[in-house]
Amino acid sequence: MHETDPALVRAAAAGDLRAFEQIVRDHQQPVWRFLRRMLGDGTAAEDVAQETFLRVYRRLPGFGFESKLSTWIFQVARNAGIDELRARERQARLIGAVSPPPRSASGPGEARVEIDQALATLPVDQREALLLVEVLGLRYAEAATVLGAPVGTVKSRVFTARSRLAAWASADDGPSVDRRTPGREVTGEV
Amino acid sequence: MRCDDARVAASLRADDELDGAPTRADLDAHLATCAGCRSFEDALRGLRSQLRVEPVGRVPDVAPAVTARLRDGDRSGQATGRRPRPPARRRPLAVAAALAALAGATAGATFVGLGTEPRAPAAADVPALVMAAQHDIRTLEARYAVTEVAVEGVRGPGAAATRTFVADLTYRAPETLGLRVQETTAGRPDVERAAGELIVDGDRWWEATTRQCSPAAGVARCPDEARTWSRSVAGREPFATAAPVPVDLVSPVGSFALAADPPPLGERDLAGHRTLGVAVTAAQVAPILDGLSAAVELRPVHPTDPVELWLDAEHLVPLALVVRAADGPERSRWATATGASERAGDVILRLEATTARINGPVDRDAVTVPDREPSSSVDGGFRPTAGDDDPVVAGVPVPTALPEGFEPHRSGTVAAPGGPAVGVRSWSDGRAWLTVRATTEWPGGRLFGDLGPDVRPVDLGAAGVGYASADGSRIALHAADLDAVVSGSLPPDDLRAVAAGLDLVGVAVPDHWAEAATATVAEAAAALPGLLTARSADGFGAPAVRADGETVTQAHAGPGQRGFTLTQRRAAVLPPPATGDEAGVEVRGTAGRYSRERGELEWVEQGVTVSLRSHSLGLGELLAIAERLEPA
Repeated sequence: MHETDPALVRAAAAGDLRAFEQIVRDHQQPVWRFLRRMLGDGTAAEDVAQETFLRVYRRLPGFGFESKLSTWIFQVARNAGIDELRARERQARLIGAVSPPPRSASGPGEARVEIDQALATLPVDQREALLLVEVLGLRYAEAATVLGAPVGTVKSRVFTARSRLAAWASADDGPSVDRRTPGREVTGEV
Repeated sequence: MRCDDARVAASLRADDELDGAPTRADLDAHLATCAGCRSFEDALRGLRSQLRVEPVGRVPDVAPAVTARLRDGDRSGQATGRRPRPPARRRPLAVAAALAALAGATAGATFVGLGTEPRAPAAADVPALVMAAQHDIRTLEARYAVTEVAVEGVRGPGAAATRTFVADLTYRAPETLGLRVQETTAGRPDVERAAGELIVDGDRWWEATTRQCSPAAGVARCPDEARTWSRSVAGREPFATAAPVPVDLVSPVGSFALAADPPPLGERDLAGHRTLGVAVTAAQVAPILDGLSAAVELRPVHPTDPVELWLDAEHLVPLALVVRAADGPERSRWATATGASERAGDVILRLEATTARINGPVDRDAVTVPDREPSSSVDGGFRPTAGDDDPVVAGVPVPTALPEGFEPHRSGTVAAPGGPAVGVRSWSDGRAWLTVRATTEWPGGRLFGDLGPDVRPVDLGAAGVGYASADGSRIALHAADLDAVVSGSLPPDDLRAVAAGLDLVGVAVPDHWAEAATATVAEAAAALPGLLTARSADGFGAPAVRADGETVTQAHAGPGQRGFTLTQRRAAVLPPPATGDEAGVEVRGTAGRYSRERGELEWVEQGVTVSLRSHSLGLGELLAIAERLEPA
């Protein structure tokens, strides 16, 4: 991704929706991919991506170019993702049901059910650090900016997350994930 | 170094964040002696491949919904503090994928690029680097460890779950190569098991395979004639495709000639070489896998299987390759049909160099064709000549503009009984090569030069019109008294420049030749107004177009075996289902259908039936291409 032209940012901040649409198109792919892995659900990721860009638009006049625009947008996306996870928790408590781990993307044909289930077992702080580095390819320093945490913390969270996933990947009967989820194979024909 | 420290270092190195102590060398030293940490590092790479994969066409476009909500004055509760109302869902792609899944045919998955700048700037342009590096490869001597997860249907019940091989490759540019593959047991070569060798030295080609054999009851071992089989070719034409040299093992030109920039996977050290990793698919690296299979039969892989490929950073020689099972019902069904039992994400084939020396001296014996009597032998019909003594060779035009560094290689004549006398000249520069073949005796009916059914006219300026094969690797000219074809490992544009400098004037083929219906996109659009094209599909060559009445076919070749055909016909309804496995999918906002067996996606748009067909791309990639079709 190229660094966004400051003129485009200023135009969008001044209310130019065509300029803003360009910014959305330039950044939505990594935002959605990050959220999809964080939430384990492509549909929720789309809703939260929309919410992310609405927040971005609202806060754009205050963006001061202290960081790259993409870093700043990832910050907003990460916060919107955390809000969504908290909302789910609240909802689960309200219903009083035994709270399942964050909804996993087990809809028909969803790819990567297994890795998403494994991700869902990670604490959120480890999951988000890993995804920023692994899915978005951010440098540790950049991920630290997004998370508002020291670089050393990012480093240890990424490592811990990886160690847990590696243990999951190498164990056929992983500690907390049943890899042979029944019924994930779709066999229906029209 | 303790394992804990090594694993932290491996994690840092995966992110290119390992600076200071411990160093890469410290880590490599530990990994060399610690299988546990090696498998940890492998697991990290596996996770990366899985996390960076997304079904194609799944990334939704939220821009229309966001801007619509902003226009409606929805500032996400700015004034009132309430949460926004549920957004209107506009996601044709997600719908298409969901419908496809319900129909039992899920979207295939492919790698998506990273959201930020690539870590290794050098990895950004791997296709161009591969094309350029082939000129500087003179020799290669390498040994590889190969591991495959066996497929029961292929090996028979009770076969070992995994097989391991050691492969030795010796190459001297441009077309001398020895490849020996031997199955191993407990890490040692096991002569009772499968083995194979392929040796090519200019005009001589030799292949021998030894199969694993179960002796009959009461017999101690199989007779040698039941176990080994060999064949040879003499009189082999320069760079003959019928008796190929698997040079893509040396430099993967076939896998990158038409490729888009692949997503980078970072860098790692392998067999003493700095390597760049890229994420590709099995269809794209088919020339490499086929090259290895030339010596010993390996298990089948699915065209959409994701592949990590690690290339020497300087010479772009493949030093490691890991094939994983792709995801989805389509792939699962294929696995069941072939007797494979792997799960998505499992490594099914792995090749890794243990030693590799580029441009060093090579062992002459390793590339000497044996004098043993083969089980069968063939004469390719090529007879070398020195200089221009032979009138047939003298009649082969020499390009006025040879790329710099190319030197004359073998030349001579080829004649099959009853066929035309063909003259051949060839040139090479390292592993890069170029041939011109020509004949005055071509009987016609189709173009000289085996271009395949799909060709496209190319404007050669003063040299008139030429015809290029769909993959751009061959260009034929039909001139007044000579038919000629140029082929080579050069990028398509460079090959075109060579063809334009042949001092021939190509003319359009006669009306009764097979290629007469070949058209340009503009001509086809005139025949079928509203014609859709796939010009924005990245990583494929320009289309070979045919216009037969109101049916227009555009064939796009891609790297390796990747490619697809787009056919449009004036007809408002789809023809009856041909194979009976058609399932409903939504495509471009309308109801269409997909046949797994034919790999064909069909729908009707503006009174025209449209078909997208491919044997190397999954439904997901076809849907993504379909969404991006645009009028000519």
